[in-house]
Amino acid sequence: MRIVCPFCGERELGEFTYLGDAKPQRPAPVAGEDAVYEYVYLRDNIAGSMSEHWYHGGGCRAWLKVTRNTLTHEISAVAPAAGAGAAKVGA
Amino acid sequence: MAEFSWDVRSPLDRALVAGPYGAQGEAGVALTEIRNFDLVQIMARRGKAADMARASKARFGAATPETPKAVGTADATLIWSGPDQFFVLSKGGRHGIEALASVFAGSAALSDQSHARVLISVSGQRARAMLAKLSSIDLHPYVFAIGSAAATSMDHTSVTLWRGGDRGGQAVFNLLVFSTFAESLWHTILDSAAEYGVTIAHSEELV
Ligand SMILES: [Zn+2]
Repeated sequence: MRIVCPFCGERELGEFTYLGDAKPQRPAPVAGEDAVYEYVYLRDNIAGSMSEHWYHGGGCRAWLKVTRNTLTHEISAVAPAAGAGAAKVGA
Repeated sequence: MAEFSWDVRSPLDRALVAGPYGAQGEAGVALTEIRNFDLVQIMARRGKAADMARASKARFGAATPETPKAVGTADATLIWSGPDQFFVLSKGGRHGIEALASVFAGSAALSDQSHARVLISVSGQRARAMLAKLSSIDLHPYVFAIGSAAATSMDHTSVTLWRGGDRGGQAVFNLLVFSTFAESLWHTILDSAAEYGVTIAHSEELV
């Protein structure tokens, strides 16, 4: 598997680390215990296109948002995760 | 009370044995460790990338690399190391961290990496063939021209790699590696280069 880093270009999988589902959003402080429980513990087990966080630790050390098909490993989109550098590539 | 005399040494002090190595005859690979350089990593503060680039341009007279490139200036090399960050590689303290602190005050965070990285220059007829064993980057001159750079990994070790100016008509590849990983990577490089014959040296000159 190869991932096209928006900053570095196409690189082998070994340069990246998988974090997990990029969908969950931290609930507001007043959202209550159930929302926090869901955010911390509950994950969908997606068979198909999934939005994930990957870290380019063996390269530019940027966090990326990768859309990957969990059945085929086909990657349809890669964008910088929110934060430093994202503005550079129009994200 | 015990007295200490602090002696600055290269992390490759023991591993590097100057002279020929590996296959005999004309060496296909030349390995040179460059010692005693100033290396400062500059990372833009949040929302200050444009200010950082302006300060850098005023200081070095060259545009800061915003893509994986190494930019040579009169007395320093600016090497991209990630989004909104780069290294300043130089000699003689002119662009050491103290000299640069006021230049980037307010726009960037500075970190002195002079003794945290080892700088190895790889050249020779078979340099690219040897590096192909260690790197997944395409180093063909059409793809990786002079001034191209990459933040990448070799043998699972993070390195900053860039192509300097040619020497004697041949490509020169420079790599910066974390000091604590330098000896391990050095041995891997020697293993990979042995079949081509190697000349090993160290130098105080930046190229
Ligand atoms: Zn990257």
